Amino acid sequence: MGRFNKGKKRGVPGVNTSALPDIIFMLLFFFMVATTMKEQDYLVEIDKPTANQALPIEDKDKIDFVYIGFPIDANQGTEPRIQLNDQLAPGPASVIPWKLGAVRPGMRAFDIPTSLKVHKDVGMRVVSDVKENLREIDAIKINYSADARD
Amino acid sequence: MAKREVEEISAGSMADIAFLLLIFFLVTTTVEVDAGIGRTLPLKVDQPVDQEPIDIRERDILEIKANSQDQLLVEKKLTPIEDLEDIVRDYYTANIDTETNIDMPAYTKIDPTRCQTEILKYQTLVAENEENAAAQKELDSWRAKLELCQSLPTQQYSEISKMAIIRLENQAGTSYGLYIQIQNILKKVVNEQRVKYCTEIWDKDYFALDKQNLEDQEIIKKLRILVPERIIEAKIER
Repeated sequence: MGRFNKGKKRGVPGVNTSALPDIIFMLLFFFMVATTMKEQDYLVEIDKPTANQALPIEDKDKIDFVYIGFPIDANQGTEPRIQLNDQLAPGPASVIPWKLGAVRPGMRAFDIPTSLKVHKDVGMRVVSDVKENLREIDAIKINYSADARD
Repeated sequence: MAKREVEEISAGSMADIAFLLLIFFLVTTTVEVDAGIGRTLPLKVDQPVDQEPIDIRERDILEIKANSQDQLLVEKKLTPIEDLEDIVRDYYTANIDTETNIDMPAYTKIDPTRCQTEILKYQTLVAENEENAAAQKELDSWRAKLELCQSLPTQQYSEISKMAIIRLENQAGTSYGLYIQIQNILKKVVNEQRVKYCTEIWDKDYFALDKQNLEDQEIIKKLRILVPERIIEAKIER
């Protein structure tokens, strides 16, 4: 009776950590799959307007982005500028060759929607000019980018 | 010769490497959800010369003007943006069952008999002249309306005046933020109506409709006939 093992051998055994890399790898793969890289470096500052009716864009790969905002580089002035791909465009008419250049064979400019990401303080003149130019080539599907929260 | 044992590579630092990668991805990724309001601009068409001028009634047009100071002029009255939603809702719903406001667009009842009469009329027009694109378009739209009527429990619906158009006019200095606010309100009212019809008629959630699903596509098409969204934007004056 009373023969409890009180020897010094007792102690909490070390947790087996050999499965730790697997757990971390699983986390890693989850983040790699679930996240998207920022698609573009912004050359213009864009503070998007909010709109509670905005719906998430489903196919981000099948959409072209036009960025309109105030240039980050002070040498570019303070007037709103249009960014196409990774360059500032000289004017609204540049969207025509840009949009047509992205059209793959067998598709029309009409098939690919254009998302306009515009700073909320930009005047409508430049936005309207871009839209008119897109209409010229039948690229009439437009998505006005906005933050969905109220 | 002494047997040399190949030393085992220590895998203990594997977790650290994986951690580093994990942290890298955590930092570089943005969980930015891209959202937006979708619109289809009117196609650029050359106005046919021989087209008869369309009779536009004042009550069918909802005119929204926004100036460079971001003030709104709705139907020629200075209006705060907070009031716009109610005006737009009224525009869509005032006369939907009975004529209550003669300044808002009229609604007409569409039933299968009416559709068949119109289909016959345009069929003869198309038969006379196959190039008559306008008649062909009318014919197609009446066929779609007939299909809609037949799928409704009441076999009929109220259709907003064909000329009911919301006209947006901006100035060069109107801010994009205000423009989106207006677009958002227009979308909100239309969505409200479509959600209502979608639950009443098909008992489905409008926002859960799947664009890839054929059955849902049909519903979306019908909802577009029930609650049309006709917006034109005036060119900004130079």
